[in-house]
Amino acid sequence: MSEFITRNPKLAWREIDGETVIISPEDSLVHELNETASLIWKHAEGKTLQEVAERVSAEYEISVEAARADVDALVTAWQQKQLVILAAEATG
Amino acid sequence: MHLGKMARFDHLVKPLDRGVPLQISIGGVPLSLFIQEEALLRPASRRYREFAQNSDNGFPVVLTQSDGRTQPRVEFSYLLDDARLILGPEFAEFHGVRHEYALDSLLRILLTMVLLPQRGVLLHGATVVRDGRAHIFFGRSGAGKSTVASLSPRGTVLTDEISLLRYSHGCWQAHGTPFWGEFRAAGINRLFPVAGLHLLKQANDDRAEALSVKEALRALLPCVLFFTTEKRAHETLLCTLMGLIQEVRSDRLHFRRSAEFWKVIAA
Repeated sequence: MSEFITRNPKLAWREIDGETVIISPEDSLVHELNETASLIWKHAEGKTLQEVAERVSAEYEISVEAARADVDALVTAWQQKQLVILAAEATG
Repeated sequence: MHLGKMARFDHLVKPLDRGVPLQISIGGVPLSLFIQEEALLRPASRRYREFAQNSDNGFPVVLTQSDGRTQPRVEFSYLLDDARLILGPEFAEFHGVRHEYALDSLLRILLTMVLLPQRGVLLHGATVVRDGRAHIFFGRSGAGKSTVASLSPRGTVLTDEISLLRYSHGCWQAHGTPFWGEFRAAGINRLFPVAGLHLLKQANDDRAEALSVKEALRALLPCVLFFTTEKRAHETLLCTLMGLIQEVRSDRLHFRRSAEFWKVIAA
């Protein structure tokens, strides 16, 4: 199944030296992403999990399967923290 | 909410027919406080006496005991215990303010909103001026802000509780505020260029450890007074803090309960 990733539109975020700081205004939480997670965050908007995995695979020279496993795990964690939404169709 | 509009904060506002206001200026922000009740006006006049400033363009702040708002358009509102702040494009209303402490709290909240588009922030921090430059000692409650202020006999303490930082005249400036903790002083209404941001950490030695941009942002964010949940406001805040961090050196200051830490800062 292809699921499209959408960043939570309520979040404010900023990239700092290749890493990302995300503020969730409604609960005053600050999330920090490392360099790899930041790359995924940056390129995730409107993309499918597979497309993001392919991007990560190319960037870090790992197999698409391995990248997909990492992307799935990360995006699932982001979903739980309400940083992203997965939808059957791309939004926006 | 359209915070950008507040950038024109120093425009000539229409006077309100509510008597003679108490005119003050905090952080370069002129305010006209319309206080009807004598019992509140007297302590407020005392509390903000160092910040009194005659001005025709003070942003009107109307104190009322009624519940019904008269704002045609609300840009921001905040409920603090029984008191409420309602901010509109032309004036602010403070409802249910029964004592000077509530007034003080709502003024802090109002200032966070007004300063935001003007590259200004309020920070949980003590500001001490030495040799004409301001040092900001920040940290959460109990970090040692008042302690540092009390260990600075050679410095001028602008505040031991809430620092007001604002970009003006080509650099970051620290303003005196009437917002105090244990010192309970009247405050000094002056501004000084910021020399450094020091994250307080009580320790057994005195040393300063430089913070990276990310570390500084991580340290500053929980110390910023901020009350809106609006996304654009948070984006503006991030932008403002990044500008501050990139222009002013920041460190984690390990310090003992003695004035020796000033040697580390001066080094």
